Amino acid sequence: MATSSTSNVYVHVIEDVVSKVRDEFINNGGPGDSVLNELQGLWELKMMQAGAILGPIDRSAMHKAAPGVPITPNPVHDLNVPYEGTEEYETPTADLLFPPTPLQTPMQTPLPGTARTPLPGTAQTPLPGTADNSSFYNIPTGGTPITPNEYSSALDNGGVPEMKGGAGRPSPYMQPPSPWLNQRPPLDVNIAYVEGREDGERGASHQPTTQDFFTLPSGKRKREDFPPQYHTGGYIPQQDGAGDVLSDDLEVIQGSNTRYDSVNSNQQMFVLGGKLSSMIPQFDGPIPDPYDDVLSTPNIYNYQGVANEDYNIVNTPAPNEIQAATPAPLPLNDTGDDDEDEPLNEDDDDELDDVDQGEDLNTTHLILAQFDKVTRTKSRWKCTLKDGIMHINNKDILFNKATGEFDF
Amino acid sequence: MATFELYRRSTIGMCLTETLDEMVSSGILSPELAIQVLVQFDKSMTEALESQVKSKVSIKGHLHTYRFCDNVWTFILQDALFKGDECQETVGRVKIVACDSKLLTQ
Repeated sequence: MATSSTSNVYVHVIEDVVSKVRDEFINNGGPGDSVLNELQGLWELKMMQAGAILGPIDRSAMHKAAPGVPITPNPVHDLNVPYEGTEEYETPTADLLFPPTPLQTPMQTPLPGTARTPLPGTAQTPLPGTADNSSFYNIPTGGTPITPNEYSSALDNGGVPEMKGGAGRPSPYMQPPSPWLNQRPPLDVNIAYVEGREDGERGASHQPTTQDFFTLPSGKRKREDFPPQYHTGGYIPQQDGAGDVLSDDLEVIQGSNTRYDSVNSNQQMFVLGGKLSSMIPQFDGPIPDPYDDVLSTPNIYNYQGVANEDYNIVNTPAPNEIQAATPAPLPLNDTGDDDEDEPLNEDDDDELDDVDQGEDLNTTHLILAQFDKVTRTKSRWKCTLKDGIMHINNKDILFNKATGEFDF
Repeated sequence: MATFELYRRSTIGMCLTETLDEMVSSGILSPELAIQVLVQFDKSMTEALESQVKSKVSIKGHLHTYRFCDNVWTFILQDALFKGDECQETVGRVKIVACDSKLLTQ
């Protein structure tokens, strides 16, 4: 939301820029005046939607006329009332429907005359009927990326709050982007095909029902060997886990004997390897790790793997956990128990991260200015700034001079 | 003449950038011309801030981060208080980006 003075300054800047580039547009084979007007119109429209300038714009006197009913200062648009656009290019109801997303420049590629279809299930009120659609080629429904506005009423559109870029074309984002994606089976990608896979199977979920999906064109899968295995009675072998391997591979081997032998051999090798790894007794003791406190405690635990070199381990060694030691070719970490035995502490920094990133873009406060002087005395900083734009609390404030005093 | 592209990150600058992006993507505007428009925007914005704006603001807060790189100061303040002519604002976190004013006059 802008005050009248900042709005005036912005309008002045827009006018100034447009007038100064007019020559470029008209002469030397430029796109022409109409394109320039279009540019200006779009720009002003976006500014109004962002709440940075107050409409309607009084161009005759270059100062704001009687406020009337400024549309933009009220960011929440009630879709239940007819849209009261006062200017020719103000048909941006689609923008009201689709909350703008900041910084979405690359995505907005409206093609003239395309996809004016609103989202299915959205409040359709004023949009398609307006005759103004033809006047400007397609712009107004372009999304306004900048806005800090809430657009809460825009959530009426069937609960689709987000429009990435190009609000003028909601359809691409509502329809399936491509048939390819529809056909892709909702398979857990962690369940990789058996061959060549070493330790990707951690906690792989058994999905016997996935066999249904492999009737799809095999072109979708890079490894043609994958589907047939699953036709073997719908059994997906699990290679991780200690005890399961023994019982599993027998069935698998038998089941897939009738199929591709090459795959079989790999599978067998792998399974065999898995078997072996689970049965290889470890004769070497814990590696004396100078920086690892784990070994300072008496080794009363039966390590099956190489001694724990994981720095994340707190001093107490996990008794029954087979540690994922790097030398082991086939680590047998049972990921299911990780939370209990070894706190990974992976959430410790989440709160800190949120401090920096928790604010959504609507409330990113930013000041852009020039500095004259920045000084510091101990932990006291002082600076003098000039000619700045402040965007704070959803408002734009301009200043000619600013003084700052900060404590570090 | 060099310009500060700093103001392109403001609301008005972003609106212009997006508008230009749309027009360039749809092919009705050439990229070179779009860049010319942006450069002109830099100049016009700087000049407007110098000549048309007369307000003064004071800023106080806790300095969380400071950075000076390529003649650009970046501060991140916490719990900042802005006092203007008639308005006062407080924000929990604000970023200040400031370019060297002397560079423009060189």
